Amino acid sequence: MEVIEILILVLSFLTLLAAGVPIAYSIGLSSLLTLLVSMDSLTAFTTIAQRMGTGLDSFALLAIPFFILAGQLMNQGGIAQRLINFAKALIGWLPGGLAHVNIIANMMFGAISGSAVAAASAIGGVMHERMVKEGYDEEVSAAVNISSATTGLIIPPSNVLIVYSLASGGASIGALFVAGYIPGFLVGLTLMGVAAWFAIKRKYPTDKLSKLSDTFKSFVDALPSLLLLIIVIGGIIAGIFTATEASAVAVLYAMVLAFVYKEIRWKDMPDILLSSVKTTSIVMILVATSMAMSWVMAFENIPQNVSELLLSISDSKIVVLMIINLLLLFVGVFMDMTPAVLIFTPIFLPVVTKLGLDPVHFGIIMVLNLCIGLCTPPVGSVLFVGSAVSKVSISKVIRPLLPMFIAMIIALILVTYIPALSLWLPAVFGMM
Amino acid sequence: MKKSIDSILEKVLIFIMGVMVVNVLWQVFSRYLLQSPSSWTEELTRFLLIWLGLLGAAYATGQKLHLAIDLLPSRLEGSKARNLDINIQVVVALFGLLAMAIGGSRLVYLTMTLEQISSAMALPMWIVYLSIPISGILIVFYSMENILRKPEQG
Repeated sequence: MEVIEILILVLSFLTLLAAGVPIAYSIGLSSLLTLLVSMDSLTAFTTIAQRMGTGLDSFALLAIPFFILAGQLMNQGGIAQRLINFAKALIGWLPGGLAHVNIIANMMFGAISGSAVAAASAIGGVMHERMVKEGYDEEVSAAVNISSATTGLIIPPSNVLIVYSLASGGASIGALFVAGYIPGFLVGLTLMGVAAWFAIKRKYPTDKLSKLSDTFKSFVDALPSLLLLIIVIGGIIAGIFTATEASAVAVLYAMVLAFVYKEIRWKDMPDILLSSVKTTSIVMILVATSMAMSWVMAFENIPQNVSELLLSISDSKIVVLMIINLLLLFVGVFMDMTPAVLIFTPIFLPVVTKLGLDPVHFGIIMVLNLCIGLCTPPVGSVLFVGSAVSKVSISKVIRPLLPMFIAMIIALILVTYIPALSLWLPAVFGMM
Repeated sequence: MKKSIDSILEKVLIFIMGVMVVNVLWQVFSRYLLQSPSSWTEELTRFLLIWLGLLGAAYATGQKLHLAIDLLPSRLEGSKARNLDINIQVVVALFGLLAMAIGGSRLVYLTMTLEQISSAMALPMWIVYLSIPISGILIVFYSMENILRKPEQG
């Protein structure tokens, strides 16, 4: 076992990360340092450059900038408000009505925008004030918003699942997308369970059942936004277009919609494009250096060693999956999702496929798992945005978040040990 | 200097993004409406994404947009914080210089001498990989500029 190389990789990476070096560059530099042990420096430099270049050369990755752009275009107008109205008409009558509205609106908004951070700020921005006015405790309202904002990363279309498809060496993006529905809804449901528990315990108000005509009107208002999901996912399921083409169609649709609603003018376009470019580049450089690191790890036989180590502990699927889930929860607390998926998929996927797990199933487990880390300190981006938008301090929001974490972990356990939750739906559509 | 480079980069990045969208739409259109799928659009868009991602990463370095764990930086104040930031920028510049500028240049040189071309457009691959050293140099420039710029107030 190449102990020295592994030590250099892990220690230099953790040191750089802890010092505050941007994650992408920490990944690149620690990979470079590791390679310097086993080859001459010029070859090491060139190898990293080459792995970065080839790592970005993928048609599947193209969907990411387009989904980001479509999300940006959709975010411009009153979409958050329309989705909230629709969610309110649907489930406002449950105990803790507004909390459920917050969760459902986050699920819809997250799926459309593809960004948990955008969901937390757009939905939380509208809902928080309203919830506090109706008597919800502010930290509960913030916790509901933060935990549910991550569901949009599992409910398709999802950029993280595209990244996973790349890291897994070709798991079908279409199958991954469709596989995400039931687990995504399951997380939403478990969170709604916790919200209802809070509502009953703390006597939060409940809305009247809304009139059918109002429900219908709010549905008609929300329909153009929701139609984006139907076009994208429907088109992929029907085999009309690839995920990448679907993402470009989503851009076209979002643009037409934005111009029809007069929410965007032509002169706004450069700004919108530039802001999508920024988000895209931050992801792309992470992809580039993570692909380099994953190559270095393969070069040092790390995946093989980890696999042997894990299987020597136990050859029971239940135990190994539990260990992997615990490791990933730990990773998710400290690491952003994209590099975590790119670096740990090549390490863990061979182990779980050896135990008979489907790569699509493992992708859903992994993303669901890492979503939890987005809501925890010290680096949970959704936690930060969610607490900023509701002006509740992080230390205050943690307490009501704890039962939410338990709910998410229960959903994770169910999704881990019941493969049908992920694989049944893609099988129905003949995608696996 | 930074301002003009920023503004050139912004225009280039917006242009690339726009061309990418048009390209992929053209691909869908040509496949379904013209019944003759175009073979080069996919490749071109893929190559544009590499340029977009790396140039954009350099631009984001100048804007300090990259994700980092700021647990340590946020706890330091005054000259200590400033020293840490200088060290971080040096480390970033080092990566831009060694792996991207030097390693990337050698990669460009190797693909040039091997005369590698792309499969659909027969484009010389060094044109694609040229994005790596150029972005590397820009990353070095931006991180140096971050050091020289007066620390922001507050």
